[in-house]
Amino acid sequence: MRQLIYYISEQMNPWRNLAIEEALLMKVPKDTVILYLWRNQRTVVIGRNQNCFAECNVKCLEEEGGYLARRLSGGGSVYHDDQNLNFTFLANAEDYNVDMQMEVILRAVKSFGLNAEKTGRNDITIDGRKFSGNAFYQNKEKCYHHGTLLIHTDSEVMSRYLNVSGEKLKSKGVASVKARVVNLGELSPEITVETMKKAMLQAAEDVYGIAPVKADAGVCDQELIARLEKKNASWEWRYGRKIPFTWEKERRFAWGNVHIRLDVNEGVIQQAVIYSDAIDVEWIAALADYMVQKRFRSPLVTETLETDMTKERSMILKDIELMMMEEEE
Amino acid sequence: MSSYEVRALPLYTKEHTWMKTVGNGIVRVGITDYAQKMLKEINYAELPSEGDEVVQMESCAELESTKAVSQVYCPVSGTVAAVNEEAMDEPSLINQNPYDAGWLIDVEASDLESEKANLMTAEEYKAFLDTI
Repeated sequence: MRQLIYYISEQMNPWRNLAIEEALLMKVPKDTVILYLWRNQRTVVIGRNQNCFAECNVKCLEEEGGYLARRLSGGGSVYHDDQNLNFTFLANAEDYNVDMQMEVILRAVKSFGLNAEKTGRNDITIDGRKFSGNAFYQNKEKCYHHGTLLIHTDSEVMSRYLNVSGEKLKSKGVASVKARVVNLGELSPEITVETMKKAMLQAAEDVYGIAPVKADAGVCDQELIARLEKKNASWEWRYGRKIPFTWEKERRFAWGNVHIRLDVNEGVIQQAVIYSDAIDVEWIAALADYMVQKRFRSPLVTETLETDMTKERSMILKDIELMMMEEEE
Repeated sequence: MSSYEVRALPLYTKEHTWMKTVGNGIVRVGITDYAQKMLKEINYAELPSEGDEVVQMESCAELESTKAVSQVYCPVSGTVAAVNEEAMDEPSLINQNPYDAGWLIDVEASDLESEKANLMTAEEYKAFLDTI
């Protein structure tokens, strides 16, 4: 390893930041480690093989102006806001060393007089409380190790998006592991996003014994970044991954009792069954057929259904639609 | 000497996958004991669907473990004839038993005889493990 390059993202759109990360991975030269520092505004980032509906209150997040993003690496869901600093170490396999990378983080935190340690699977904690979740990705030649650093993240907002009841939704895919978290800024008033960035660069210099140099503009291929950003924002990547799940819910309405069961894969309803004691049985059965091939949690009302719509049916439809759109807290 | 199990029958790749014939032109594919030990705890297996085409030494599946997300490079080309649903439901099977219950896919091989030349015998794979 001969070269330590750092790159600090100037903007906070998660799809773009993740695109920059992936582009840096493709371009990282041999004998080099890139340290990439970035922040996102109000975002839930789910792991590569996670079901977003099982992990995140997506509708609540989006209604409050937040972003749902999926990363390349595996593992659980994390919440980011502008008071969370993300780091990524990117390198070719022969320059990649998780122990050294971990040492950079521990050293940066220790420089503020805090005693951090690596615990569990991929967490970094102080007194058993987690302030950094780490995840890893590798292709044939290149690897990255990235993670969060909680500085002053709003933990109330975090739990509003990440606390999802698992009762209604049974999914394959990787489940998140809940952890007690702590903000570094609460443990040391000196720690801010800016002082932590500096501490990370200093710690990297100490660990690698090489002064980090700022990436020149050429390290980023703008066309490639734009293409990757589009992928990151796409419905297919965020919702449409091949992670099958079933969703089941029952409710009593003025017009009758209803029990719905959906089999969903690639974000699309594959099979729908509705049990109901409502009088309009045939129409309700037709409704189940109609749901098939629709995206999960997309609105139901359409022209085809509206043609034989009565006032009563329209009410039932509205009730069922609301019941299906609603998130479980 | 390596402390990884290498079985006699299958043929191996440098990407730590194996294949063995299980019936009429059907070849079973999985990862080696070395691969599962390197990956550590596997918690998700994304396998192809029946009927998908796979190509020798290209990715045919993806495994997520506590260490990383990794591609599985297929030892043979052909059409996916079956996938191991049990391994999808319970990925720890791949750790526990990578050569039996933890197999990944069955492939109807399209060019087995000539592709075998690109694979290693158990002896060759053992020797290869000793070099890494």
